Order: sequence, then C-alpha cells, then structure tokens
Amino acid sequence: MASEPVQVRKIVVRALVIIACIVALSVLPAFVDSYTLRIATGALMWAGLACAWNIVGGYAGYISFGHSAFFGIGAYTTAILMQSGIGASFFTTLLPAILLSIAVAIAIGFPTMRLRGAYFAIATWAFAEMLLQLATVLDITGGTAGLSLPAYLNEFFFYYTMLVTAAASFIGVWWLIDRSRFGFRIKALRDDEPAAESLGIRTNLIKVQAFALSAAITALFGSIYAYWTTYIDPHSVMGPQITDQMVVMVLLGGLGTVWGPALGGVLLWVTNRYIWSTFGDTVVYLPILGVIIALVVLFLPNGLISLLVGRRRGRELIAKILSKF
Amino acid sequence: MDLFLQTLINGILIGGILICLTIGFQLTFGVLHVIDFAVGGWTMLGGYAAYWLVTLAGIDPFISIFLVFTLFLVIGRGLGPLIYRVRTSRYARPDLMALAFTFGIFLFMRGGALWLWSYNSRSVESVLSGQFLTLGPVTIPLLRLSAFIMALLFSLGLFIMLYRSRFGMAVRALAQNHDHAGLMGVDVKRVSAWVYGIYTGLTASAGVLIATIYSVNPTVGIRYTLFAFFVAVLAGLGSVGGVLVAGLALGLLEAYVATYIGARYSLLIVFGALYLTLLVAPKGVLGRGI
Repeated sequence: MASEPVQVRKIVVRALVIIACIVALSVLPAFVDSYTLRIATGALMWAGLACAWNIVGGYAGYISFGHSAFFGIGAYTTAILMQSGIGASFFTTLLPAILLSIAVAIAIGFPTMRLRGAYFAIATWAFAEMLLQLATVLDITGGTAGLSLPAYLNEFFFYYTMLVTAAASFIGVWWLIDRSRFGFRIKALRDDEPAAESLGIRTNLIKVQAFALSAAITALFGSIYAYWTTYIDPHSVMGPQITDQMVVMVLLGGLGTVWGPALGGVLLWVTNRYIWSTFGDTVVYLPILGVIIALVVLFLPNGLISLLVGRRRGRELIAKILSKF
Repeated sequence: MDLFLQTLINGILIGGILICLTIGFQLTFGVLHVIDFAVGGWTMLGGYAAYWLVTLAGIDPFISIFLVFTLFLVIGRGLGPLIYRVRTSRYARPDLMALAFTFGIFLFMRGGALWLWSYNSRSVESVLSGQFLTLGPVTIPLLRLSAFIMALLFSLGLFIMLYRSRFGMAVRALAQNHDHAGLMGVDVKRVSAWVYGIYTGLTASAGVLIATIYSVNPTVGIRYTLFAFFVAVLAGLGSVGGVLVAGLALGLLEAYVATYIGARYSLLIVFGALYLTLLVAPKGVLGRGI
C-alpha cells in the first residue's frame, strides 16, 4: 500500500486546483469589462457544449455530426415559448426544452445507434440538415426570418447561468464516467461492443442513454444562448458551424477525457474572438479550424490534454517551454 | 403528361452528373476504407477552377474540364499518402480519425473559399448556355445534355481503367484485401494514393459540370457531400456498379419533388429519404463490392 499517500496527495491537489478554478471563475465578473465578460460567457458555453458532445463522441465512440439539431431544439423551444402569445418566463422554458430534446434523442437514437461508425455520422448529419431545412420552412419557427426574444440585458445573469450549467455538466460527466457503473459500461462498449454485449451490458440502452444525456445538455445551452443573444434564425442556432466547433474543440482538447473539452473549448473560443476583433470577421477562422483538425489527427491524436497529464514527454516539453520565460 | 416527361428527362440528366460525382467516392471507400467528407469540397473547388479558367483565360468549361481533372488528379495524388497514413495508423479508432481528418480538409476548403471569394454565387458561361433542343413535347437544354454525356464519358473511363488495365486490376485487388494484394507485388501505398487522386479528379470534374449548369458558391459543398452520401448509401458503400442506378434514382427523386411538391422542400425530402434509407437498409439496397 505504498502508493496510498501518493494517491491521497494527488486527490487533494486536484481538489484544490478545482476549487481554485471555481473561485476564480466566480469572482471574475468583478474585475473585467463587459466585452471580456461576454467572451468569458461564450467560452463557458462552448466548453459545456464540447463536454456534452464528448459523452457520445469521446466515451461512447460514436461521432455525431448532428448535435446542432439539439442546440437548435433548445434555442427554438425557449424562443417560441417566450413569444408574446405564450409569454412564459425564461426558467419555465428550460424544462420543456430538455424534455423535447430527450424525446427526440430517444426517438432517433434507438434506430440510428444501431449503425456503426461512418453510417452513424452520416445519419446524424442528415438528421441535423433535415431539421435545419424544416426550421426554414415552418411558420412556428419564423422561417428564415427567425425569432426575436424579449431582451434581458444583464451580463452578470448570463455569465453565472452559463457558469453554473457548465460546471454542473463537467462535474456530472466526471462523476458519471469516472465514478459510476454507467461509465465503465460505456467505456466497455466503446472499446469492444460485441465483447461488452456478451458480458451482459445492454449496449443499445446505454448508448441511447448517453445520447439523450448529451442532447439534453446541448439543448440546455441552446436555450440559454437564445435568451442571451435575443435573436435567433435557423442558421445561427442549427447551422453546421455549431457541430463543427463542438467536434474540433473535443478533438483539440482530447477525445474521451474529462477536462480536454474544457481546454479545447476555451482555447478555440478565445482564438475565435481574437480573430474576430483583429480581422473584423470570423471567415478566416474556418480554414484555421480545418488545419487544426488535420494537424491534431496527424500528430496529436490524444489532444492537447495528453501533453499535460500522464505523458512524461509532454511534461518535459511544457517544462522546456516554461523555462524560456 | 408533358410535364411528367420533361421532369423525367431533367431527372435523368442530373442523375448522370450525380453518378460522376459519387463514383470516385465509392472507389475511395472500396479501396482506402475512408468516408471522405470533403466530396462536396472537391466539387466546389472544381467549379471555381472552371470559373477562373473561363473568366481569366476564356477556356470553355467543356474543354477546361480536362485541365481541371488533371490538376485535381495531381492534388489528390499529393494528399493521398496523408489519408493513407491516417487510415493505417495505430490510433485507437483509425476509421473515425480518418473521418475527422477529411472533415478538417472540408472545413479548410469551405472556409478558404469563403475567405477568398465571399458568399457570392458565380456562374460559369459556356458556348452551349441558353441553347435548346426540342423533341416533340419536351425541351432539352443542350448544356445539360452535353454535361450528362460528359459525366457518363468520365464514368465510362473509370470503368475501362478498372476492368481493362493492369493498374485497374491492382486497384480491384486492393479493394478485396490489402495484405494479399501487397504480397502479390502491388505497391499498396502508391496505388492508394493514385486512387485518391482519381477520386478527386473525377469529383472536381463533376463540380465543373454542376457549376456550369447551376452556379458555384463556397457553401454548395455541404449539399453535394450529402448528395454523394445519399447515392453511396443507396448503392451500398463501396459498390461502384450500384452508383449507376442510385445516381439516377436521386436525380429523379429531386426532379419530381421540385416539380410536383416545390423546390424549397426538395432538400428536406432528400435528407429525409437519406435518413430513412440508412435506417431501413444501412448496408445499401443494391449490393456491394467493386
């Protein structure tokens, strides 16, 4: 049992780091201007979205190109319920948004999750494009003109809402994947699905549960986003760029790791805003995203997080970089 | 009845181009086992290449298509080894990594095109534009007819290459088994790279024809990636022969939906049909193999 003190020390250090992060994030709004606060709010949202995508993409091993559909479902549910005809308050729209996204995830999850690898990716993509087309022709979604929401101009409110949601997502995912039987089952089916099934794991059920959880978190962020930006249209909340970013953030941070998506999400979103403020638009951001994916796949398949933890080479590299300052 | 016939002709003519669009994609899947998300990207870039060739050098798209084919053959041949490297790497999930890699290439193309050429649609002019052939009740635009014939010629060329040449035999051997083909003296890496080159060349050529019939802008890529997926899934991934039927099927579906239900619903119905096909017959409905 020589390793026990080391284990304990590791856990204490980790807990201290997490507490320090939470404290730093909660007092941040007191020190920054509203422009930086908006960037921080966006960074929290993208980190949370990357975390949600990672449940299916990283842990279950099913690459979904359809998560923009769930983001859009959340955004549109909130927007439609908050229109003057119904006039629901923001918090009461969250539950219908989550329930609807779970229902859709289950309805499309059971048939599509029988498909493997590339077929699943194509099916989810086709589904998301279908929903995008649907949103542009329906009346209730306002068609291509989109919908406006009642404006609530309190940056602190949105920052803390995003912070609480993102923190809950990360802690929930960490607990579910690293600390519960669900986590063992889902990793088992990722590594070898027939073997997992032969051990008595109901793989179809587990996959759909993971998909529904991922969809619910994505929809929740969609709802908050709609209220935050106060105007949505089909392309802004269901466009392929939503899925693109989620995929890239997870790949960059580290597929199938708890903190990789947070790292990738924050890093890419800050880069995005930096390019936006320097060049005046974000068009140049897309080719950069593309190059990042290609390079990560070629040279760093385990993501940036693999440089930080568990790899001696990575630590040496970081030490070398830090020694130059 | 006249409308019905006219729609039938339109559907068949577009179907021919979809065949040319998908046939290389199928070959790549059969040989490299890579689902290339960038199909639409190659289509879009082919269209732009034709646009610049006709605008700057005044070369008609029906002549420049051969230049575009050669250009993209070389580009694809250069990129091929990277695809091969990702696909045969020792990562946990090389198939998903390859998917992510081509997704990155696609994003790069789409973003690069948006950055360089903005959202504007550009049309490619040909000497055949605006000329018609009237056969009884139906009117056939000469442009579409020539594009259809050109697309079929390219596809025919691929079949001749596959079934009547030593290189084609090597490609078919690879599609059956990489290891065994390698043992028989096939240079797996080189042939794979050439297959990727042929695929990009064919897809870019289809892009030239599509841009000449409609127009080209940086965001059309997604649409054609999904069209290629649709045809490929209907034919059975990796099945080159099945594409001939599946391409025509999609062309007809799109034409009839556009005529009888409304053009704005055509994408919705095409995606819905793709989704249903995947659920009902995920392995394709027309058999498999090269």
